[in-house]
Amino acid sequence: MAYTPNREPLSAWNRLIMKYRMQSGSIAYLLQRATGVGLVVYLFVHIWALSSLTKGRAAFAEEMKTFTTPPFKFAEWALGTLVMFHAFNGIRIAVVDLADGAKYHKKLLAGVWIAGIAVVVAMFFLIFSSELFAK
Amino acid sequence: MSNENQLVQKNAGYLRNYTRSRNSGAPAWWMQRITGLALVVLTVGHYILMHYNPTSGHDYGETASRLTSPWFKGVYLGFITIGMYHGLNGVWNIIRDFKMRSMWGQTLFGLLVVAGLIFVAVGWNTILTFDPMKP
Repeated sequence: MAYTPNREPLSAWNRLIMKYRMQSGSIAYLLQRATGVGLVVYLFVHIWALSSLTKGRAAFAEEMKTFTTPPFKFAEWALGTLVMFHAFNGIRIAVVDLADGAKYHKKLLAGVWIAGIAVVVAMFFLIFSSELFAK
Repeated sequence: MSNENQLVQKNAGYLRNYTRSRNSGAPAWWMQRITGLALVVLTVGHYILMHYNPTSGHDYGETASRLTSPWFKGVYLGFITIGMYHGLNGVWNIIRDFKMRSMWGQTLFGLLVVAGLIFVAVGWNTILTFDPMKP
């Protein structure tokens, strides 16, 4: 079909989203995109921040002093929620697309939420172990 | 020729053009699933490895000792590359949904490719020029 340019891409996409019936699957689709964009932005920041490894021990230690303060640790833990949702829902997408997951995609989605929340809660205790279990 | 026949022929034309089109997106769709499944292991593993205790991901010594292993280096060179590919392919997938005018689409595509190449180069440079002896 001939390519028809969309004159108002943003409002058109917004109208499309508003037409969705907000069921678990369409919410998962939107969250997959939102978390994906967030993770790409983080990937750029991450590669840039860690390039300080080439500047030697002192420069890296100085940088890590900032990244081990509570706000950054909390942000790192919160980043895990994006990672786990995107990864587990990504498995679900692959099972639906490449196997017969379409028959039980809602059960898979329940599994995504359970596995995701379990890992994120477990990571909270690991990341904040020094604060939670002070000697 | 009846109206119906005309319609069938027209649609057959679309289908033929679609399957022959280099812009069907099928290879990118496949690559997104393959790299995605690899990244489930790599990213979730990376996140847990860097946070299972407070120092594993934030201490220069531990980072330096991991980076002495050629296996670890090799895996991380691949991780950076397919992570960036998967992320930017996903962003491009979202941009395509907006059906922008081709000039805008091509500009954004070019920006994604250039940004991806630059940041993959920064990441590779960090791993390949890392010197654990530098003070």
